[in-house]
Amino acid sequence: MDVQALEREAQSAFAGASTPAELDEARVRYLGRKSPLKQALREVRDRESGMSLNAARERLETAVTAREEELGRAELDRALAEDVVDVTLPGEAQRRGHLHLITQIRREIEDVFLGLGYEVVDGREVETTRYNFDALNFPEGHPARSRLASLYLNGDVLLRTETSPAQIRVMESREPPVYMVSLGRVYRRDTPDATHNPIFHQVEGLAVDEGITLADLKGTLLYAMRALFGEEREIRFRTHYFPFTEPSIEPDVSCFLCDGGGCRVCRFSGWIEMGGSGMVHPALYEHVGYDPERYSGFAFGLGLERIALLRHGLPDLRQLWDNDLRLLSQF
Amino acid sequence: MRVPLSWLREYVSVDAPASEIAKRLAVSSAEVERVTRIGVPDEDGNLGHFRVGRVLEAGKHPNADRLQLCRVDVGEGESRQIVCGAWNFGAGATVAVALPGAVLPDGRKLERAKLRGTVSDGMILSESELELGADQGGIMVLPESWEPGTPLADALPLGEEVLEIETTPNRPDLLSVYGIAREVASLFRLELAAPPGTDPRLAEDETPSIEIRDPAGCPRYLGRVFQDVPLGPSPPWLKARLLAGGMRPISNVVDVTNYVMLALGNPLHAFDLETIRGGIVVRRAGAGEALTTLDGVARKLDPADLVIADHERAIAFAGVMGGEETEVREKTTSILLEAANFEPVGILRTSERHGLRTEGSNRWEKGVDPHLAAQAAALATELLVSVAGARWSGHADVHGELPERPIVRFRPERASELIGLEIPAEEQRQTLERLGFELEGDVVRVPTWRARDVGREVDLVEEVARFRLADVPFTLPRRREMFGRLSKEQRLRRVLEDVLVGLGFTEAYTSSLVPTGQDDGAVALPEPLSAEQAALRTTLIRGLVEAASRNIDAGNDEIALFEIARVYLRSGESLPDERWRLAGVTEGGFAGAKGAVEALHAGLHLELRIARADGGVLLHPGKAAALEGGWLGELHPALLAGGWGAWELDLAELFARVPERVAYEDVVSYPAVHQDLAFVVDDGLLAGELVDVVREVAPELREVRVFDVYRGDQVPPGRQSIALHVSFQSPERTLSDEDAREIRERIVATLAERFGAELRA
Repeated sequence: MDVQALEREAQSAFAGASTPAELDEARVRYLGRKSPLKQALREVRDRESGMSLNAARERLETAVTAREEELGRAELDRALAEDVVDVTLPGEAQRRGHLHLITQIRREIEDVFLGLGYEVVDGREVETTRYNFDALNFPEGHPARSRLASLYLNGDVLLRTETSPAQIRVMESREPPVYMVSLGRVYRRDTPDATHNPIFHQVEGLAVDEGITLADLKGTLLYAMRALFGEEREIRFRTHYFPFTEPSIEPDVSCFLCDGGGCRVCRFSGWIEMGGSGMVHPALYEHVGYDPERYSGFAFGLGLERIALLRHGLPDLRQLWDNDLRLLSQF
Repeated sequence: MRVPLSWLREYVSVDAPASEIAKRLAVSSAEVERVTRIGVPDEDGNLGHFRVGRVLEAGKHPNADRLQLCRVDVGEGESRQIVCGAWNFGAGATVAVALPGAVLPDGRKLERAKLRGTVSDGMILSESELELGADQGGIMVLPESWEPGTPLADALPLGEEVLEIETTPNRPDLLSVYGIAREVASLFRLELAAPPGTDPRLAEDETPSIEIRDPAGCPRYLGRVFQDVPLGPSPPWLKARLLAGGMRPISNVVDVTNYVMLALGNPLHAFDLETIRGGIVVRRAGAGEALTTLDGVARKLDPADLVIADHERAIAFAGVMGGEETEVREKTTSILLEAANFEPVGILRTSERHGLRTEGSNRWEKGVDPHLAAQAAALATELLVSVAGARWSGHADVHGELPERPIVRFRPERASELIGLEIPAEEQRQTLERLGFELEGDVVRVPTWRARDVGREVDLVEEVARFRLADVPFTLPRRREMFGRLSKEQRLRRVLEDVLVGLGFTEAYTSSLVPTGQDDGAVALPEPLSAEQAALRTTLIRGLVEAASRNIDAGNDEIALFEIARVYLRSGESLPDERWRLAGVTEGGFAGAKGAVEALHAGLHLELRIARADGGVLLHPGKAAALEGGWLGELHPALLAGGWGAWELDLAELFARVPERVAYEDVVSYPAVHQDLAFVVDDGLLAGELVDVVREVAPELREVRVFDVYRGDQVPPGRQSIALHVSFQSPERTLSDEDAREIRERIVATLAERFGAELRA
């Protein structure tokens, strides 16, 4: 028999099969038990023709397998081509939770200052007048001490009016260097309106070390404001007065909406007031027993709600206490 | 503080526009709220339309009884015909005239117009139309000496730019035009004029009787007597200044006192001398004493109130407000002028106690320089004599030792060091001297008007720094030993927040202040904001219930809320025990809450231990459980209907159990054997009890989970079937079927023995 002719015929039959059934038929015809090739193999007598027949059989079997895979793949492709979804349909519903906007801002600020090497301190919310006022150098008769301004539990105990008492507690507890931020609720006897609530949140920062300067405060606030409001921001210092800092500074950040051109948010000044800051007043060091000749430091305080209102355009901070999922899930 | 620019320029000749002055003041001295323009607009030559005029003829308008028809010389050669509605003048009067084309302060543009058939070629002006006074009764009659045709702006302050400045409480010296001028002179490096006011000659010697019984409350009382006071209106320039400064003109005497207060910052008071019985006594109020103040209110005095009295009764609240009986009035002909000094805190207390805040009290409570009284008296005297034409006839100045000027040691190099900017010592010296500080070597003498504010070196550093703020560079601390990280508690709080957010919970912020009556043990506020905010909360759950309820009302779905915040528990000490708590409210009832609590425990690698508990007022009595450091359950439907799961955990208790580190277990190398086992047990048995025993007897147990509980036809009455999915695994070898059977038999036998449990086929 002409093995080569037979093999050519089989190869073209395999290649020509266009369905698995046709291929199977061709396989039985050329490689089945009763196929001429198998019969020839059974009858072979000499080594040489046996080897040549076997080689032909192996090649054909490989060809069948390859064609089988090809056809199977084509079949799958055909089936998949018909299995179509509407990709614009919604996915399986997942309940999504949200951190409160103030927590998100709080974490951002914490992370900025952790990166700068600060620790985060949780101060008390109920404080003594000693920590809330005396040790912070509030003079007798300062309006904040009044029962009309603050919420007292009794003559000596009140809800903290700023996060600053934590500064004193930390400085009392150890020697410099101190690099800390403290974030949390503060309380004032304010009438609620779009920008006031008796309970609100502040971040307080304190750095006390050898050689701390006003320029360090300016640089630190610049980095923090850029992190919160964008890399293009600039910082401006204005003189001010706080009992616990000297010099006292109000930092302004360049308006992120108009880039300094003037808009409603910055009241057409190009600058937005951010809070209070300054160099720690030496009277505080005297309270906690630090040597003001050796150490200097700066402190600052910002309102978290104010950041939320400015950055996200919230019209009324009282909405942050409504806990309406429609609002909270925007952020 | 309102600072009219023309007034400011009287003390410092600054050419810069108002906006530039405002900008520099805002950075270095005090916040400038805004720059406003008052009076006649100064645009497009508008001021040229305002002239001095002389009325040549005046008579009744032919067609209107209430109008006058005038001919007015405004220096043009030919006179103009002007119709006027006022009758307080006649021919010969010198008046202020606006010509057609003029824009008035209220924005009206004047046109040549016909009034009742007669042409009016201009307008004769009243004070109020020029915003130079409050008098609307008639037109403004000017001094006869003024020439017709003179631009009105040369004779009167027609228009004015005003800086509205918000000063800080440490700078009472800035509550005066002169004080602002001192800052402006420093900012622009200009000459500052000497303070205004020079005593005229005192002709007579009618020394008033003054006694200070409380020198701490009143360190100084300077009194002056004036006779032949022709009480009447102030001249236009004075009225205009007061209006620009934000005060209403009243009468020449009162206006002078207010003018001096605005100019120098020392509030003054004028008494009608004839109403004073005997002399002045400065003392604390007596018990039961009363005073009717200028505003007509009868007030009961507190023994702590400092009063000005005569020999019989209180006649004024010192520094706050005068009394009605001794007020300067129309028939007044002699006055006693008070230029005193009062101590701040006492004034603040009186002003708070009586709810009275005045321009005067606002200055006293910040601390006015006691040395200033003499200067203020001099300026007032000069004006009363020159402007009002009064006769100064007596003087007394009672005071103890006035405070010394503080002396402060100052090192310019220390200032540069603290600021972080090298400022030459010579520049620092000049800055301080311009502000009135005197330097001698490293010793600085503080000016009297800054004595309260500047007492140590760092205060002088601020004086230097505030003029160079824009030049301060941006640096970061040199980081000697800095290391920042969250504490374990802070880190774990974030873990809990993240677990809950991942489960679909949203974080709520609810009030720390709650109504009283929720918890008798709560710390109450004696003077609360409102009945709703009267106590410190002892649980977070009520705020969350309210938040959930609001969301239900809003029609929101998939409501699941949590909060991490503090509660405040009585501690027996002066400060309450502040404890961090985590609470949640969710749809899905008990199982919803328990699922979340399980996830929270898993997030912290903690085992959840749970026991039945009574529900209290918050929870469904049959669906309440106690945890280590907290509780969970289904909310009592009376609190929130609809099957809401809730929990609250004390974070300190929870975190105390969190393992330091998680140890590795090999759960990968050898396969686990899984089996499902159902046991029939008595109805009352808790699934957890069964599970606990399984754990106890099978150390190879990797996991046990209840997957079905059944009561009904398939089990006898009074019994239930509890199905457990268990898996066994060894870290050392593959468990054989034989091993698994042995473990299972151990479990079955023990459960049978302990609970009478039967294995279901």
